[in-house]
Amino acid sequence: MADAPIIIDIRHIGKVYPMGDEDVHALRDVSLQIREGEYVALMGPSGSGKSTLMNMLGCLDTPSSGSYVFKGNNVRDLDDDDLAAIRNAEIGFVFQTFNLLPRATALENVELPLVYSGTRARDRRQMAIDALHTVGLGERMHHRPNELSGGQRQRVAIARALVTNPAIILADEPTGNLDSRTGQDIMNLFGELWRQGHTVILVTHEEDVARHARRIVRMRDGNIESDEAVT
Amino acid sequence: MNTRESVRQAIESVRAQKLRSGLTLLSIGIGVFAIIASTSVTTTLQKVVGTQLADLGEHSFLIQRTPSIQFGSSWRKYMQRKPITYQQALEFRERMTTTALITISNTNPAYTIKTAGASTDPDVSLIGVDHLYSTVNAVSYDRGRGIVEQDVTLGRNVAVLGNDVVVKLFGQRDPIGQTVTIKHQAFTVIGTLTPKGAVLGQSQDNRVLIPMPLFVKYYTWEWDRSVDVSVKAWSKMSLPATVDEAIGIMRVLRGVKPDEENTFELDTNEALTAQFSGFGSALLIVAWISGIGALIAAGIGIMNMMLVSVKERTREIGVRKAVGARRRWIMRQFLVESITLCQLGGMTGTVGGVGISWLVTFWLRTTGMDGVGYDLPLTSILFSVIACTLIGVGFGLYPAYRAASLDPIEALRHE
Repeated sequence: MADAPIIIDIRHIGKVYPMGDEDVHALRDVSLQIREGEYVALMGPSGSGKSTLMNMLGCLDTPSSGSYVFKGNNVRDLDDDDLAAIRNAEIGFVFQTFNLLPRATALENVELPLVYSGTRARDRRQMAIDALHTVGLGERMHHRPNELSGGQRQRVAIARALVTNPAIILADEPTGNLDSRTGQDIMNLFGELWRQGHTVILVTHEEDVARHARRIVRMRDGNIESDEAVT
Repeated sequence: MNTRESVRQAIESVRAQKLRSGLTLLSIGIGVFAIIASTSVTTTLQKVVGTQLADLGEHSFLIQRTPSIQFGSSWRKYMQRKPITYQQALEFRERMTTTALITISNTNPAYTIKTAGASTDPDVSLIGVDHLYSTVNAVSYDRGRGIVEQDVTLGRNVAVLGNDVVVKLFGQRDPIGQTVTIKHQAFTVIGTLTPKGAVLGQSQDNRVLIPMPLFVKYYTWEWDRSVDVSVKAWSKMSLPATVDEAIGIMRVLRGVKPDEENTFELDTNEALTAQFSGFGSALLIVAWISGIGALIAAGIGIMNMMLVSVKERTREIGVRKAVGARRRWIMRQFLVESITLCQLGGMTGTVGGVGISWLVTFWLRTTGMDGVGYDLPLTSILFSVIACTLIGVGFGLYPAYRAASLDPIEALRHE
């Protein structure tokens, strides 16, 4: 693991939001390296800067200072469209509230990133079907989100995150809206994906959820408080 | 992300908002409907009038007290004009030196024609004519003969019947030599007119021709004794000279002073066509202005609807951006959606407009206008498609831009 290539290389990044007359320092001085194949949990209370860091990792936002190199690309130099392209190809998002398109079927939801990557219709159908099978939802692919349980919806979202075979899967409180048993199932699924070789970054404030990861990064007041392997 | 995908998404979201989309669609439809229906109906009417005027003959013109097509409020002015009397018309014919065929006629509607055993409805047009009437007006006879010079000079009680009158009074029997009475005056039938059918619901066969002197004597009143003078110039070349001379003689006969305007109307075939097409153009302009107005109003409706749609789907836009949609793809999605909406409305309006104008044509045909064919108003349909696209783009641009500019983080957080 130690010699796997570094995907995420963050050095001394800061993020400042102007809020009224004052500047809010969401991130002060954060440095973090994540290698391919890692399973990292990002923890911290609200206001600690973990959401900002997650948005940064997911290329939804760019740092105000410092450098963020994602797979060799300096994110600070990229424009909106380049960031969109990186998100499309390299990052799979899983959200607490699932964020599926309500009018689209499970299959269509999973196909969405492939639509934007310009994959041919027949190919993307097959890829989406494969991804749904991976998360154990091969049977329900023609259902719409409101016909699926919470756990099933999150599986669809995970399939959508997987379908482009991204460099990282970025999960923001993926069990936050699920009961504990379903949450456990979802965490097992992430464990399985990690064992298959995916890089997983988990953002959570729950200790038992974070324990599934192999490394826990704790945030406080815009800085990294601790960064240690799970024993 | 291809256009087909965008159209599919657009139709999907139109379907999701049936009522709202439906109303917007309707307003586009009304605009397109106004444009297509008016263009199409006016074109058909112009064709009808064109056919009618062609009957008058290419180098003919008509002198009357009042114009044959009147628009506006000059009615009072026309009614103050002195009638063109039969005597005046005869004198006019006498004085004309340019080679031309001149016929004097007059028409009164609503007469009842009777035989011993039968009677028509009181709706027969009675036309006083002279011997040149049939030549100038291209009238032909299928039985017997027309009115000749002796009939006019001798004031013979003879009549030529239109087909409707023949059928009503005589059925299959031969009317030639029979006697009919018109307001207690007896006439001998000398001929029948070749049937012509109907124009704009008006039968051209429900008429009776009698010599002009008898018409003046029995069927003309003090307040309505103006006659029509039809002049057929020798050729198209001699038409202007003939017109000039006719105007000059009429002015002298009617005592018009040099600085006064004519107290009669001289309508050439061309002038009538021009008058009508002027009227047609005015109608078209009004219809197009209101149609375009409706389309612009609909455009504003589209814009409003798209803005609401962008707001409601903020989170969806956030998701799309998170999974890699570029700005221009989001933009395109909303633009295609607004164009699709406009085109759906346009199609509704086109179907309605084509339907209505087709019905009008069909109606004209049932009233006997066999010559009227229906032409699909391709120009206005094309215009509608283009206009709908422009409106979709024009009014969809700002909402689409708003959608494309959303910050994905904010959008994902949107409740």
